[in-house]
Amino acid sequence: MARRPCSLSALGLVSCLGAGPAETWRRLVAGDASRLSERTDLAPGRRLLVGAVREPLPEVPARLARYACRNNALTLAALSQIEEPVRAALARFGAHRVGVVIGTSTSGVGDAEAAIAHHLRTQALSPTFFYDQLEFGGAAGFVAALLGLEGPAYTLSTACSSGARALASARSLLALGVCDAVVAGATDSLCGLTAGGFGALQAVAEGITNPMSANRSGITLGEASALFLVTREPGAIELLGVGESSEAHHMSAPDPDGRGARDAMEAALRDAGCAPEAIAYLNLHGTGTPLNDAMESVAVAGVFGERVPCSSTKPLVGHTLGAAGALEAAFCWLVLQGRDGEELLLPPHAWDGAADPALPPLRLAAKGERARAPAPARVMTNSFGFGGNNCTLVLGEAA
Amino acid sequence: MTPAARVLRVAAWAPGLEDEAAWRAWAAAPAPLAREGVPDATFLPAMLRRRCTPLTRIMLRAAYDACPEALRADVRTVFASRHGSINESIELIENVARGLPLSPAKFSHTVHNAQAALYSIAAGNRRASSSLAAQDDTLAAGWLEALTHLEREPERSVLLVVGDVPLAPTFAPLVDEPAASYAVAWLLVAAEAARETGEPARDARRASGGASAGSGARVELAFEPRDPDAARPRRAWADAAEHLRWWLAGEPELALPGVRQLVRWRRAAA
Repeated sequence: MARRPCSLSALGLVSCLGAGPAETWRRLVAGDASRLSERTDLAPGRRLLVGAVREPLPEVPARLARYACRNNALTLAALSQIEEPVRAALARFGAHRVGVVIGTSTSGVGDAEAAIAHHLRTQALSPTFFYDQLEFGGAAGFVAALLGLEGPAYTLSTACSSGARALASARSLLALGVCDAVVAGATDSLCGLTAGGFGALQAVAEGITNPMSANRSGITLGEASALFLVTREPGAIELLGVGESSEAHHMSAPDPDGRGARDAMEAALRDAGCAPEAIAYLNLHGTGTPLNDAMESVAVAGVFGERVPCSSTKPLVGHTLGAAGALEAAFCWLVLQGRDGEELLLPPHAWDGAADPALPPLRLAAKGERARAPAPARVMTNSFGFGGNNCTLVLGEAA
Repeated sequence: MTPAARVLRVAAWAPGLEDEAAWRAWAAAPAPLAREGVPDATFLPAMLRRRCTPLTRIMLRAAYDACPEALRADVRTVFASRHGSINESIELIENVARGLPLSPAKFSHTVHNAQAALYSIAAGNRRASSSLAAQDDTLAAGWLEALTHLEREPERSVLLVVGDVPLAPTFAPLVDEPAASYAVAWLLVAAEAARETGEPARDARRASGGASAGSGARVELAFEPRDPDAARPRRAWADAAEHLRWWLAGEPELALPGVRQLVRWRRAAA
């Protein structure tokens, strides 16, 4: 069955690389890792290098105080960049025909930490804390309330695949005819729970994350929001393929044979109706943990051999967890939008260059590398979450 | 176009309501569900039982009852829960606030997809799986997400599980809801699917445990604008339980006012 187009027609994003497509793209292709910063407040007794958004964030309007938390302020920063096309979609289709699907793994946990500390001290709840800030559903509820949307609004939370999954569901909501436009993407914010949790799992790198290296020692945490307006009209850049799998393996470790990752990539290729050779660039999950990179390189080599140029962008922005799938889809969108003649400029794989001899070799993009990719080009992004929840997306230029 | 699915089976679990007869009796005279209680965990592999929170046990019990063994590894899954593992997260956040170290195993089980992941591990299921939350609209969002899975792969069944347990006392006063422990699960196939879709589907029609045979009835899900001035009725039991009451009563239509919309389920004769 031929699908109708699913256009990623507008993009708003904020990460440590900056706000908006232009600034983000400039630093992304430059491989600018200088945007990471040190924090001592996230994990007791530990200096952590993180991808924090350092610029002031817009304030959640007072009428929506029940949603006022850092996570939603990040969402607001991304959303404000696409407010015009979103309002136009609302005017054109009607409030009940526009939906919201947001991915997050943190929601407002950071603000809940302060509220819980307050509760432990005083045995009373802080007057500025509302459960809507903490509960996962509040991430989508906030967007719906802010924009006055009356379409379906829900939050997908499948750990680090949440953001990719939000785009997959948005495409299906359009195909089902439930919505005529969907605001879809993801937001995650730095907090003590994830810093402490990944620290306890010994999954946080000492310095900057170093994906695919023999010296890799874990992740660098980050925060971000990336939101698309997803519509059914033909557009320049479309979501062409979705591949999903579970691993039936372990809560926090991927299946070492990479079967789940391979299943997701192959399903996404099938769904997009394209051969592996058609993929011009692959944005790796590439977390920099020993286990992820080992299994992902086996899976990528199994699907693509050594042919496809790929990179992990996590050394530049950190692992933004629940937002990563949407943020890295946004990076793929920027790669396509940045077309230069017959070529695509690629985000570099920023690492120490010490290939791990135990892993099958991949073609990791160098700074300034270009892929020859006549239009319409196709690119892919991988997201693999805790509990073995995998989602791979294929984006492409409209034919 | 109104999206729809066929319901092959329905199952539910709440304290004291563990089989179809008990739920039928409840549906004839519905009352608030019990706050606390968990099903026996012997249906789960021994290695997983220790890690199962009350919510996990309840959601997996309903999931297993709604999905015959032959299909358990082969369905897509959708787990919808307003609170999910948040009680366990609150415990960890209290540790963060006290400057105490976190248990890595406990941390990895606080993800919102913990129930989905444990189902995948217990049932050996490698199919696509979503976990979601939508405040007061979680039931309708769960149904809608299940329909998105049928849209992506119409030939595969979807197991939808909706459940919750009461929110931890720290935050419970902030949420106006009938606090209860429950889960309801539906085995769904695409509306266009042939009435007889082979052995597993035929098996699926036979009810067991807390399940009720859905007999393949077609159910439509419609989202309609809601009168913004109309107050939302406050029910004494969860929306998912109300949905089950509607199903067992054989009524043709259920309309639940959501936060922003009126959500309408319509059942056609099988």
